[in-house]
Amino acid sequence: MAEVVRFENVGLRYGLGPEVLQDITFGLEAGSFHFLIGPSGAGKSSLLRLMYLAHLPTRGLISLFGRDVSTLPHEQLPKIRRRIGVMFQDFRLLPHLTAFDNVALPLRVAGVRESEIRRHVEELLTWVALENHMDVRPPTMSGGQQQRVAIARAVIARPKILYADEPTGNVDDRIAARLMHLFEELNKLGTTVIIATHNEAMVRELGRPILKLNAGRLEIIPSNGTSLESSPDAEEAV
Amino acid sequence: MRFRQLNLALEKDDTNRFLPWLIAFMVLLAALSIAGMLMLHQISGVFEHGIQDTMTVQIPAGENIEADEKNVSEALEALKKVDGVLSSNRISAGEISRLLKPWLGETAGSDGLPLPQIIDVEVDRSSNLTAEKLNDFLSPLIPGATVDDHSVWLTSLVDTLHSTELIALSVVFLITLATIGTVVFTTRTGMGIHRQTIEVLHFVGAQDEFIARQFATRAFIVGLQGGIVGILLAAPILYLFDYILRNLEEGLLPRASLDISIWISVGVIVPAVALIAMMTARSTVLKTLKKMV
Repeated sequence: MAEVVRFENVGLRYGLGPEVLQDITFGLEAGSFHFLIGPSGAGKSSLLRLMYLAHLPTRGLISLFGRDVSTLPHEQLPKIRRRIGVMFQDFRLLPHLTAFDNVALPLRVAGVRESEIRRHVEELLTWVALENHMDVRPPTMSGGQQQRVAIARAVIARPKILYADEPTGNVDDRIAARLMHLFEELNKLGTTVIIATHNEAMVRELGRPILKLNAGRLEIIPSNGTSLESSPDAEEAV
Repeated sequence: MRFRQLNLALEKDDTNRFLPWLIAFMVLLAALSIAGMLMLHQISGVFEHGIQDTMTVQIPAGENIEADEKNVSEALEALKKVDGVLSSNRISAGEISRLLKPWLGETAGSDGLPLPQIIDVEVDRSSNLTAEKLNDFLSPLIPGATVDDHSVWLTSLVDTLHSTELIALSVVFLITLATIGTVVFTTRTGMGIHRQTIEVLHFVGAQDEFIARQFATRAFIVGLQGGIVGILLAAPILYLFDYILRNLEEGLLPRASLDISIWISVGVIVPAVALIAMMTARSTVLKTLKKMV
């Protein structure tokens, strides 16, 4: 399987501060499923921000879908981003849009026909048990409802890569299991999934390979039958 | 229509509350400057015509009307023989009185004040005919006749008018720059306010053009609103100015008025300012977004 994400000796620092990520080297094959774990402040969100092109690395090389992002023309970034779904920890829903319009956003910027948008969005919002909240705006929704809207927005365009930052943090066990099922279904359809989480029980239960960050360094813990590369530091840990 | 739901809710920004008024003020100043500039252009055009084509022969008042008539007839006959004179027309006594009235009042037409006879001479400047040559030709025939070439004093007057036109044009240019600067500042502030939304739009794959179009559309609407208000404020001032000019004593200045071409020029400011605002906002957003990852 081809790699969709490749990090080579990547380092990241904010301004003149210390490096929050150091010598990160790994590759993710298309259709793989990983958890990203680590204590608070370990650099999980920073690593995700690099993966969804919110930042460029201070050093090292990142390639997405086989293309070096540092040499990618600015005009081509939207095309790459349309193949990536992101569910942010703080949801980042647009407060002036309804749940329906928030979820429809990736399809609208891609120019999908309105009739198709309506069908897909209604179906997905029903799937995440928000069929009665389509016309509700985020500020009047609970945290769990906002989280489900954020997830629906991340997956609506059937992305090739899905990053989810704490996707089950604000929902009950039943919804959490349902969401994880959704991620697995997407993964079976070929989407590469990376889930950042503190939920150790969920990580153990699913038995997927793990990217473990600690103090800005990456350790890769493969699951049975999964072949992964790792950074030099990580190789010792595996 | 779903288009509205894609917008960044820019109409709710505080920055958009004062921008129409700022633009209205700019448009008011621009309208007054442009109208003034075009009217000065009308006046300088009249003067330039004087510089280009005409000289005036002045014959002092004679002892009686018969003598005046004889002098004028001889002068007109003589002028027909001069190379470079295209035509010559006597200015009637009534016309002279009317022209002098603003300066001399009612006495300009009275018998107690003898007026010189005036002949308006249309000349061909390419013939090298000068006021001195014409003067040398006429003086022996009609004693006391003098030739006045208006170009001497009119040239400096026209130069002054042209300078004033340039100043008005510079004011319009500065107003345009100020408008552009204001739109740039407001757009950047708007982008700061909507930074998170713009980031989200980026992450879901929106092209920069998609985001820029929303700011540009909003700037166009605000520019149009401000432009219309500015023109509505300028219109009564221009009407008043036009009224004063129309009622000026004839002869003080050449006739100038706010004709339809000036009103059209002033009206064009509204779409022009809306387009300038739109293009400025668009380019500001595109430049700023290009610096983002």
